[in-house]
Amino acid sequence: MNFRNLKIGESFLYSGEMIIMRDAAHKRISEMVEKKERIPLDFKQKIVFYAGPAKKKAGMVCGAIGPTTSERMDKYLDMMFSLGVEATVGKGARTEFAAQLCGKYGKPYFVAPSGSAAALAYRIKEFEILFFEDLGAEAVQRILVCDFPLMLAIDAEGNDFFKI
Amino acid sequence: MLSGKSFREAIEYELKRANNVASDTVSKCVESYHGIFSEVLKENINISKNMEMPLCQDTGIVEFFVFRGRNVRTDFSIAEILEECVRNVYASNPYRYSTVEDPLFSRINSGNNLPPVIHFFEVDGEKIEIRFLIKGGGSENLSFLKMMNPSSSEEEIIDEVVSHIRSKGAKSCPPLHIGVGLGGTSDKAMLLAKLALTEKPDSHNNDDAYALLEKKMTDRLNKLNIGFQGLGKGITVYSVHVKPYPTHIATLPLAIAVDCYLCRKGCVEFEF
Repeated sequence: MNFRNLKIGESFLYSGEMIIMRDAAHKRISEMVEKKERIPLDFKQKIVFYAGPAKKKAGMVCGAIGPTTSERMDKYLDMMFSLGVEATVGKGARTEFAAQLCGKYGKPYFVAPSGSAAALAYRIKEFEILFFEDLGAEAVQRILVCDFPLMLAIDAEGNDFFKI
Repeated sequence: MLSGKSFREAIEYELKRANNVASDTVSKCVESYHGIFSEVLKENINISKNMEMPLCQDTGIVEFFVFRGRNVRTDFSIAEILEECVRNVYASNPYRYSTVEDPLFSRINSGNNLPPVIHFFEVDGEKIEIRFLIKGGGSENLSFLKMMNPSSSEEEIIDEVVSHIRSKGAKSCPPLHIGVGLGGTSDKAMLLAKLALTEKPDSHNNDDAYALLEKKMTDRLNKLNIGFQGLGKGITVYSVHVKPYPTHIATLPLAIAVDCYLCRKGCVEFEF
């Protein structure tokens, strides 16, 4: 989809792929980058969703799911953009440093509704664990979502909804 | 005598209810919110309840506050049964295991959401009261402790609380419930702040001066216009509860604890 036409504060329904990653997976990827090891996923064009879903209920594609606080991942944002990540999704305001990185790389940040995990679970059409399975809910996972509500919080120029 | 089985069943029922069913206060507040994501938040409350799904994927670390009447005897270990309750409820429901065994080095997921955090208090009376919080990580990260100057004014205390929520409140799923502990020692103040979160959001302190302080803080915090989801619309806090305690002549500990908009908590009483 074309993120360039959106203004900060605008919400829309996204359908497509997202890669689920949170604290522990970011830390492990950064250790691999440091050791110059092969990264198990090509992050080019990928949207990273800061989340860690609950267990699946029988008959469902994915368990309850929702965004976690994005700010904790700010220290890894430069690295993730360098790996090719296209956009990030989470909850809450980020540091000024993160907004500057969004502007520098021209990559937006979206917020998803927090505390609405049961409703969001029904918008997941595909779910798979990719790697770091030992991290439990913090494993790297791939989802395909349909009509997933998002709001543009930091645009590709680094303008920040939370700072206006 | 109360059996361990009926004790366990009552607690397990409440843990599941707190995770899946929004309280009347929360439902009404969400119902009155009109803004970004308001439809999905309303939908979530219905889906969770009807489909037995958790309201939030962060089904928390469980904190228990046990108030035990001084003459009450049980033929079971309360702590052991509370652990068993957490183990059972988190194994048999589509919840998330959100605890790690070691906080710094391995951080390996416990795979059972254990252990809970349990505090015991001896009280008058012939009953056991168990209060609990389903404590999500996002709101827990807003916990705050400051050793204030003992000659601080009421205004300075209010300013400290307002300044903390102004800078961090948007990150922990507002509207928030704020617990404030004042006095005691540093650890006691933090515990008081947590105990304040176990109060019903629409209640207030029995002492008029503290009830007024709670109201002043609530009003100031709501003027921040952080709003639902931190997006600027709707209330910022449900309420503030303050719990004071005697303290040392040289100290005035101030602790803040925060609960997210879902306020997942419970209270179970057992009469003897």
